[in-house]
Amino acid sequence: MRSERSLAPYLLFMPTLIYLAVFLVYPLLKALFMVITPEEGTGYTLANIYAVLSDSTFWEALKNTILLAAVIIPLQVFLALMLALFVNTKFRGYMTIVYLITIPLALSDVSAALMSYNIFSPSGYINKILLNLNLIKHPIYFFGFNATTSEFWVIVITEVWRATPLVFIILLAGLQMIGREYFEAADVFGFTKFQKFIYITLPLLKPSLQSALLLRTLFAFQIFGVVWLLAGRDIPILAGETFYQQTELQQYHIAAVYGFVIALISILISWVYLTFLKSAKEV
Amino acid sequence: MKKFAVIGLMVLLVFVVSAYAVSAPKIYFVSTQMHPAGEREFMVGTLLKSFAKESGINVEFLALTYNEMLSRVSAEEKTGKVTISVIGDLHGGLDVMASRNLLQEVKGIPLPNRTFISTLEKYSVIKGKKVYVPWMQATYVMVVNKEAYKYLPNGLTKEDVRKPTEKWTYEALLQWAKNMKEKTGTPKFGLPMAPKGLFHRFLHGYLLPSFTGYEAKEFDSPNGIKAWEYMRKLVNYIHPASSTWAAMSEPLLKGEVLLAWDHTARIKPAIVQQPDKFEVIPVPRGPAGRGYIVVAVGLAVPKKAPQKEAAYKLIDYLTRPSTQVLVLQHVGFFPTVKEATGKIPTGALRILARGVTAQSSSPDSVIAMIPNLGKYGGEFTNTYRKVFKKVVLQKASLQKEVSAAAKLLKSLFEKAGTPIQ
Repeated sequence: MRSERSLAPYLLFMPTLIYLAVFLVYPLLKALFMVITPEEGTGYTLANIYAVLSDSTFWEALKNTILLAAVIIPLQVFLALMLALFVNTKFRGYMTIVYLITIPLALSDVSAALMSYNIFSPSGYINKILLNLNLIKHPIYFFGFNATTSEFWVIVITEVWRATPLVFIILLAGLQMIGREYFEAADVFGFTKFQKFIYITLPLLKPSLQSALLLRTLFAFQIFGVVWLLAGRDIPILAGETFYQQTELQQYHIAAVYGFVIALISILISWVYLTFLKSAKEV
Repeated sequence: MKKFAVIGLMVLLVFVVSAYAVSAPKIYFVSTQMHPAGEREFMVGTLLKSFAKESGINVEFLALTYNEMLSRVSAEEKTGKVTISVIGDLHGGLDVMASRNLLQEVKGIPLPNRTFISTLEKYSVIKGKKVYVPWMQATYVMVVNKEAYKYLPNGLTKEDVRKPTEKWTYEALLQWAKNMKEKTGTPKFGLPMAPKGLFHRFLHGYLLPSFTGYEAKEFDSPNGIKAWEYMRKLVNYIHPASSTWAAMSEPLLKGEVLLAWDHTARIKPAIVQQPDKFEVIPVPRGPAGRGYIVVAVGLAVPKKAPQKEAAYKLIDYLTRPSTQVLVLQHVGFFPTVKEATGKIPTGALRILARGVTAQSSSPDSVIAMIPNLGKYGGEFTNTYRKVFKKVVLQKASLQKEVSAAAKLLKSLFEKAGTPIQ
């Protein structure tokens, strides 16, 4: 009886452990093996890593991925925070606004990219409106090999629209957890609205902010569908190059190096967030 | 009694059927083509069924990958137990088999009432030996919206372009594309430059062979440098959204471009939808000739093949103009015999076939075959795309990039064990 009880937690744990071992640990080890073995022949080699690091496209992809994350994440967090604060005032009909804001959550990145393409393409809404108003003579090209700057900003707009609701939901949940008594106490001490935000809301929102930032940053380094559909390889990114190496060039070991770089960056980011954004009360 | 009579009849029937099956000749036809379910069904259910009905020869169609086929043909040759009578494969693969002395010469096969397109006929003779009979072909051509003829440069006529004559050159294309941009306000020449597009084929199979005579061999020669200098000029008149297009059908139909280059299968939808609006024209020529890719599929016979007469009859049937038209209609591969063009029903297919035949009959042809580089194929095509990006779009040092790429290309051919072309 006693031994049965002591086994129970492990048995309950087993499905998760098996799942993680089969779908996470094994592929990760397999990928690592591919990184350090040659495409042909036996033995171990660093040639795949060298090939990737000496390819200018890798550095371009790394730069673009970081740049996109650096622009998209602060914008998303700022917008989501503003929206969450606004909705948290719980004005009449605020739930309708919540529903409207969260609609993009139901969309895949491919759908979002296609919707965006329909807006910004040469025959899209924006060009049609501008042409009909006689404001332009020829369509404006937001996409193409000589329009990488506008492509970049269209990607930013699409990603901000698509993924801000996720941050918004996390922050709104965090805001709703903050008890009213803190604000009532602040009123007694004569805090201004700004002081309440700085000294009460922000510190108590830190765990939610941490989760939102962690999730969004990890997703940002895996960004693929929106960039691939809107810009192809005009703007190379890490996940896009992994896909290209795997499917188009069929260089599986090189693709594994790209995949591994994404995994390493993700692990590093998680560590940085969990270490440096730790809430003061966590022990 | 009645029961015994029925059983007796059934036994007799089984006996007759098996006797017929044993007596009816059966040959094996292995192919690396016609693999998708619909194409295989057409091959087995329509073509080979009709051939069996006509000749009394049953054909077992085996769809194999190139490696599977090569190892099977090699093993059969080695053991002397050859079962395969006919092989259908791309030029590159047959070239390798011929170099290993696995194929017999197919010179004297009786194939009456058909004229094979001369360039295809020429390439089917490898090292003085006729290795295969041209069976099907696919290629990449240009499509012109008839409206674009308004902007033809001085001295170049529609006929020059359609035929094609010596005046239809890359310089003329540059001028044409420039005229279109200047007169319509936007670039109207498009190439499928998206990652899934076939732009790399344009670079290695059209541009380089037209300027240097080869795909990779003269990559860093003075003419090779000129080819990239030319692209630096042409890019100003290429539609900027080209890098988002994987196939040119849609931009042609939307009127975003008036002139485009792409694979025949990828432009077909535009011509099928609006056959009156578009024409298919051959590609221009460069200083070394009119370079273009031919995806040539041939029919070959293994050296010790059994039932050779039956094999020849199958080759005769598959290269008949009427069979070739059926293949074009169902699978999209173009005929290799001139007589088939006249038999194609009017409409989109005839427009396509006219352009393809004009291109492949051009006397200044420089044919490029997609090199058989195996797993290095991806790296090969990526090298051309990379040079284009660096030299043309990012304006990097031409000489430096081209020299480095030439070395890389040479090493890829060496690693694959294929002579550089």
